[in-house]
Amino acid sequence: MIGALAATFLTASVEWVEAYTILLAVALSIGWRRALTAALAAITVLAILTTAGSLLLTRIGDLSVLQFLIGVFLILFGLRWLAKAIARGAGLKSLHDEDAEFAQLRAKPEINEARAAWAIAFNGVLLEGLEVWLIVVALGVQTHHTIAAAAALAALLVVCFAGFLVRKPLARVPENTIKFTVACGILAFGTFWTLQSLGYAWPLADASLLALFAFNILGGLALTALYKKQPA
Amino acid sequence: MRGLIKTLIGDKRNFFAAAICIFLAVILVHTPAAPLTGIAFPLMLLCGAGYLSKY
Repeated sequence: MIGALAATFLTASVEWVEAYTILLAVALSIGWRRALTAALAAITVLAILTTAGSLLLTRIGDLSVLQFLIGVFLILFGLRWLAKAIARGAGLKSLHDEDAEFAQLRAKPEINEARAAWAIAFNGVLLEGLEVWLIVVALGVQTHHTIAAAAALAALLVVCFAGFLVRKPLARVPENTIKFTVACGILAFGTFWTLQSLGYAWPLADASLLALFAFNILGGLALTALYKKQPA
Repeated sequence: MRGLIKTLIGDKRNFFAAAICIFLAVILVHTPAAPLTGIAFPLMLLCGAGYLSKY
């Protein structure tokens, strides 16, 4: 349960940091009040999606079907994040730069137009929040959806507080390290649940999750080191 | 809607890499070599991540 909550909190933190960059860029043009209404509207949509998602999942009576569904989506998500983190760690892909992202957004001509800027903030927060939504709905099955949502909200508060303090893009957040760690954890959950739903009995029961997490971390680090040595 | 689909399944390569791994795991878990699935499946996924990060 702690692992699932930590994964939810960290995933949400990374996504909220990216959403904050978008919001800050927009707020400098149309003011914080309008920018925050866009963010609140997006968060409301996410809350509705979370409620709908959790209701839908709780209606699935067969535990194996539920585990398989959740497992597959966690694998799809974890695989994507792990591949990106390895590529960025090995230098095959440039690291996500919040300052550059902020500058790019500020250079957009439509950011000075109130309605378009509001839409940028709304879409930005919604798109970043969709990944949080997926994790809250998927991992909330193991903890509880309310607790998982609380972890995501706690991350939102932390990012808001940090943003309020620095009042510029949160570029010093070690995003790739967090993404790498979270991806390894999520992939471990996905692997565990998918195989369990297929009738596979894990030799160490729940403790296998830790072994899978360690395997993903070590394997990911080995791949990063290997790709660093190879010419691109 | 496009954002939602992208969040759920990622791009085509990501989808097919995961699908191949899961498909092979489903086959393996129903063979006499089923006890090996716990090692083979995470290994396949790691190879998938390695492939997606490189290409």
